[in-house]
Formats: sequence, structure tokens, C-alpha cells
Amino acid sequence: MDRREFLKQVALWSAGPILSPPVFDLLSPAGAAEIHMPEILTIKGTDLPAMVRSMTAALGGMEAFVKTGDKVVIKPNIGWDRTIEQAANTHPLIVSELVRLCLDAGVSRVLVFDRTCNEERRCYQNSGMAPALEKIKDKRFRLEYADDRHFVPVTLKNGRVLKEWSFHRDALEADCYINVPKAKHHGLTGLSLGLKNIMGAVGGWRGRLHYDLGPKLADLNTVIRPRLTLIDASRVIVKNGPQGGDPEDVKVLDTLVASRDTVAADAYATTLFGRLPNEIEATLEAHQRGLGQMDLDQCRIRRLDA
Amino acid sequence: MPMKPYWKQVRRLSQGICLLIFLFLFRQTDYSGTDTIPYAVNLFFRLDPLVLAVVTLAMKTFVSLLWPAFITIALTLVFGRVFCSWVCPLGTLIDLSDRFIKPRLKREPDLKFLKYGILTVLLMSSAFGVQFLGFADPFSLLVRGLAFSLDPMMNYLTSGFFDTVYAHAPAFVSDLTEHLYQGLKAFVLPYKQSFFHLAWLSFCILAGIFLLEFFGRRFWCRNLCPLGGLLALISKFSILRRIPVKSCSHCRLCESGCRMKAFDENSRFQPEECNLCMDCLEFCPDGITAFRFSLPRPRPFVDITRRQVILAGLTGLALPVLTRTQAVSQLPHDNIIRPPGAGDEIEFSALCVRCGECMKVCINNALQPLFLEKGIEGMFTPVLFPRMGYCEFNCTLCSGVCPTGALEKLTLDQKHGFVLGRAYFDKNKCMVYVREKSCIVCEEHCPVHDKAIKFDEKTVQRADGTSVLLKQPHVVEALCIGCGICEYVCPVEGAAAIRVFGKDERRS
Repeated sequence: MDRREFLKQVALWSAGPILSPPVFDLLSPAGAAEIHMPEILTIKGTDLPAMVRSMTAALGGMEAFVKTGDKVVIKPNIGWDRTIEQAANTHPLIVSELVRLCLDAGVSRVLVFDRTCNEERRCYQNSGMAPALEKIKDKRFRLEYADDRHFVPVTLKNGRVLKEWSFHRDALEADCYINVPKAKHHGLTGLSLGLKNIMGAVGGWRGRLHYDLGPKLADLNTVIRPRLTLIDASRVIVKNGPQGGDPEDVKVLDTLVASRDTVAADAYATTLFGRLPNEIEATLEAHQRGLGQMDLDQCRIRRLDA
Repeated sequence: MPMKPYWKQVRRLSQGICLLIFLFLFRQTDYSGTDTIPYAVNLFFRLDPLVLAVVTLAMKTFVSLLWPAFITIALTLVFGRVFCSWVCPLGTLIDLSDRFIKPRLKREPDLKFLKYGILTVLLMSSAFGVQFLGFADPFSLLVRGLAFSLDPMMNYLTSGFFDTVYAHAPAFVSDLTEHLYQGLKAFVLPYKQSFFHLAWLSFCILAGIFLLEFFGRRFWCRNLCPLGGLLALISKFSILRRIPVKSCSHCRLCESGCRMKAFDENSRFQPEECNLCMDCLEFCPDGITAFRFSLPRPRPFVDITRRQVILAGLTGLALPVLTRTQAVSQLPHDNIIRPPGAGDEIEFSALCVRCGECMKVCINNALQPLFLEKGIEGMFTPVLFPRMGYCEFNCTLCSGVCPTGALEKLTLDQKHGFVLGRAYFDKNKCMVYVREKSCIVCEEHCPVHDKAIKFDEKTVQRADGTSVLLKQPHVVEALCIGCGICEYVCPVEGAAAIRVFGKDERRS
């Protein structure tokens, strides 16, 4: 390497720290979801892929959510180094079925990721997510780790407590964002559901979100608005959440809940734990801000047959 | 003779293969989707007879994990110091560096005795219970230099470039670079960026070994490497010998060209210094140089005088005593949290060869080398640094890569019950107590079941007269295993409001 080449290299390498990342300035209209009488679907059974198909079919098919050429992000909970039996993560069969449905609908890209709490490779592997999704051989589909570099700063125009936070770039840019949370116990928030699942799509030091978490979750949910929220309540953690670990912590409910309205889906799923929607601070806060409907009397609840 | 150059090529091939194996194993020292690593990534340390000698002396017992070292000893008894020139990856890298670093000294002082001196110090001090192998073993220096500095540096540079392109370039450019990046990630780069204490020091030590080449080729190997010294002693009994035993007087090319300077002042060949690089087969214009099997006739002495041996021996005796009489050996320590599988402090520091493998493999970059916090004896030994990373509950990799069993291999069940330390709250800092806001990130992340961090719901009167329902956390000491995830995730500024303290071993 001669001197000129060396200088060129130095200039190239030092470009990184000098340039700053792009700033997204999204203005998501709060309360854009259909607040008036949102529809909630629920289904009981053990054949998860079939249940996912019935649900989407009942909502008008995947074509009702995506069009040909869309970029889709599917965001499950893969947060913990726990097995399927331990029920801390979204069941991989639900996610793989959603991916297939999107691909069949002719989308141009499907991305699945979560920003994990435990080490990401262990989480993806031991949750069963990576083994299940590796079976999908389609170039349009990717299961990715959420590296730091994916997160870009966003100004929260509608934030009450949070004014700025970083979000996953692909989640912001997606034509369709599908939220696939796990329903489970959580020490601080009571339950972890659809609104809480956004924690895996944001960057930064997430521990710092934990005080005043309810209002902050509502803030974060003003930026990313899922087209569909499908809550996995097939096996749920009823204590020692959000990671559980012991078989005694797990209850089998064999239930899935879906809605276009995350707040409504959360509200219904809360009742599966014998609790009331307004006991969950994030649900209450999001409802009050007009992000969705938590009053189940104001929802159309359809129970599908498995 | 047409066969002669052939051996040099074979030697180079062997060096290349061994270096590739070394680098491959280095890269494989990482999580790969299973809880055990499918390769013996610690192979070079277990092949190292110096590790065997030092650990056996320090422990006063044979550590069965180290059996492969006998292969090296057997190899040396047959072929001489062939390990240094055919196998040792550090030797190969030093040979490669010769293309860039040319010796500057006209006449180099004869320092061959130093390696025997260093060897004597290491063995003596081990026999007296404190081992300093980590300061001199070639593989420890090499692996630490790579793991703590060069590898993270390489990744930092490369990912810096690709991340910049990813963040700023148009999609059609970044799509291309991302492809390249993924390819590099799959085969060349580490999975993620790591950060180490002592990156500077480890880099400087390794760089120093290469800079010594300015004084002469293979300077480190000839004069300093204690493993080279040990193999030299063994090779006095080897049966493969070079002839002639004295460089014949007409050209002396074999003598002047020898990278190991394996000739004494009377031009007598010193078989223990020869590492069988086979160069001299090529130099000899008459073609009389050859390697033959014959019975060893060891010369009675090596390049170290009796006085030097005694001096080195006394040093080796003094160092452990000096180490053990330092106040630091008696003080309780805040930040000494040993990795899972470590025994008591004395046993651990006798067994640990500071190879850096456990810190390299640690999936959360949580294991870090100590500097002088525990005195010279503790330098480069691994401790858990929870604010940097936590011990992953279901991971047992570090105990699986330890070449000497300083970290005992643990099953997952054993690991789940292995207590690294205990967590304690600092209620003067925890925001539940200070800011009167519920947080309990620590409780959420606590991986043990039943959780070692529990909380009480308590209504607290604020200064302004309002009251608030708080979730106040506390540690259940009997359940805490000291994994440190609570300390890692604690969102307060600076040091965490919950801290893990290692098992304290105040000695008196």
C-alpha cells in the first residue's frame, strides 16, 4: 500500500463516525385505527397453522392486509432464551404460517426480527424460531437479527412522555407491519401483550423506558401502527413472567386472538387471564389516547371454530 | 539432489495448514447454535508441554485434559524441535513477518540462555504455588493478542465501513455491500463486535514479539520463548540429527543463513536450537547437509551457566513469596466474580493459564481480563464484568473451552445452580426508592425460577402529600446465583443500583 492509497483508505474508514444517521420524522395520525366497533377474532385449537389460516381468511384473507410488491415486517416475540414449552416467546408455527401467507399473497419482501433480551442467537435458536423459519426457502423472506445499526432516531410528534426514541428502520419503512406478540405475565406491567411487543422494534437503552412504562408504550405505539395484531395465547406464562422457565408457570389456553386494533386485541387477551383491560396501564393509556378500543362492549367479538 | 528443496516446501505446507487450523479454531471459539462447540478449540494449549509442566507443578497432580502434550513430547523426542518450525502458529506468523521486518543489528548478542532462565523461573514459581505462565507462554500471548485486540480491531474497521454504507448509500449500493458483508461475516469476521479491557496491553505485547525481529530472525523463539526452551531440552534426546555436526569451513552458508542461529561460537551445530526448517538443505552448494536418524549423543550442557540457573531458580522462588506477601492477597475484593466452574481462588489461579479462551467465547462479552486489581497473580485472569455483559443463564461455553479445567466443565443443571456471587441493592440509587417510580427491570430479567428478585407492592407517601403504589424490589439471597443480568440491565446512570459481588475469600 503506498501513501496515497493509505490516505484514501483512512478517508474511507473515517467517513463512518463523521456522517450522522438519517432522522426519520414520521407523523403517524394517532387514532387512525378503526376505533368504532373494531372486530376481534378468537379461535381455540391445537393446529396453530390451520388456526392462523382460518383467522386471516375470516378477516378477508391476507390480501386484505398486503398488496403485491409490499414490504412486510412480521414482529414476533423472540425475546428470551426459552423453549416452546416454556412459552416465553411467540410460537414459531404461527410466525411461519404468517410468512407463508404473505409470500403467497405476492409481497416483495417479508422480514422477521426481534430485538431480544437474552443473547439473540440463543433466543432465535432455542425459541424454535430459527429452526422453523429456515424451512421457508424463499428469497423474499429473511429472518434477521436486530443489530444496532438498524435503529434510527425518530421524533415522536404525538409522544406525551417520550419525545424521541430510535426505531427499527425496516419496521418504519414497512408497507405492512404485523404484530405477533406472546400473551404472558409481566411483573411490572401485569401482562405483556400487543402494545408491549413494540419493545422489540425499538433501539436505545430499553431499561430506561421502564419507569412510566404505560405512557411510554402508548407513545411508542403512535409511531408503528400494526395492520394486524395476532396474539399467541396457545401456551401462556401466568407467573414469573415475562420469561418464566418452569413448567408450573405455564398454562395451556390453545387460543389465538386477532384484530386490526392492537388495543382491542390486548383488551380481549387480558380477559383470558381473568383480568380486566383497564388494569393494564398501557391498554388504558392507549385507549385514552384514541389508539384503539379497550371497551369490549364496543367491539365485535367473533369466535371461530377450529 | 532433487529431493532437497522438497522438504522446505513440505515444512511450509505444514506451517500453513497448522496456522489455518489455529485460525479456524480461533474463529470457532464462539456460539454456533449448540451448547457445546464441536471442535477442540483449545487444542494448541493442550498440545503445549509447557502448560502441562507448569500446571502439573502448580497443582501437584496430573491434569488429564492435558494429555495431548505428550504427543508434542513424543514428536520432539523423535524429530527434535520440529514443533517450533512446523506447527507453532506464532512461529509461522513470525516467519511471515520477516518479509516486512528485516533484522537491523549487525552483531546480535547471544541471549539464548534467556529462554532457559525464563523456563526455570516459570517452573520454580509454579512449584511454589504461583504460576506466571500467562506472561510467557506463546499461545497465551498470541490468543490474547488476537482475541482482545486484533480481532475486535479488524471487526471494528470492517463493520464501520459497511455500517456507513448501509446507513447512507442508496439501496442498490447497500444491497451489494450487505451481500459482501454477510459473506465476510459467515467466514472471516467474528459474529459481533467485542470490547476488552487490556486491549492496548495485549496488542503491545504481541506487537513487541514481532518488533523483536528487528534484532534478528526468530528472536523470540531463539532467546525468549520458554516453550522453545523446554522443547530444546527435550530435543537433546531426539534421534533425527543434522549432519555435518560442524559447519565445514569453506562457505559457512548454512551457519550464516540459519534463522535459529543453531551454531555455537566454534561453528559447532547445536541440535537443540535447530527447529528443522530445512533451509540449510538448500544453502549447501556441496549438498552435504542432510538429516539422519541416529542415536542421540547429548552434549552435557546447554547455553546457560550454572550461576544463571541458580539465579533464575532463586527468582522463581522469590516471585511467589513476593506475590503472596502483597497486601492485595489478603483484601476482600469488590469486583472479582469468577466464571462458572471456577474453584477456590488458589486452585483457580494455579490452573488458569490466562489463555483468554473463556473470555473469547463468552457470548455476552461479559468475561474480561483483570489488570492489577488482584495483584500480578491475577493479571489476565477472567472475571465477570456485569455492567459490560451478564452471564447467560443457559450458556456453558466458557467452562467447555478451558484447556486446563480451571473452569470445570458444567452440565446445564450444574450451571443453573452454580453461584458466581450475590446481588445487592443500593437503595440510595434505585429509582423505585429515590424517584418513587416502579421500574423492576431487574426482576423482569432475573432468569432463575423462582425469581431471586421479588417485589412488594407498597403505598408510599410522597413529599407533596400524594401517595403512590410502588413495586419495591429486593433480593432473595438464597435464590440468587450472581449471573449479573440485573446489574447489566439496571437503567440508572453510571454504576448500577443493584450490584453483584463475588464470593469473597478473605484468607485470614
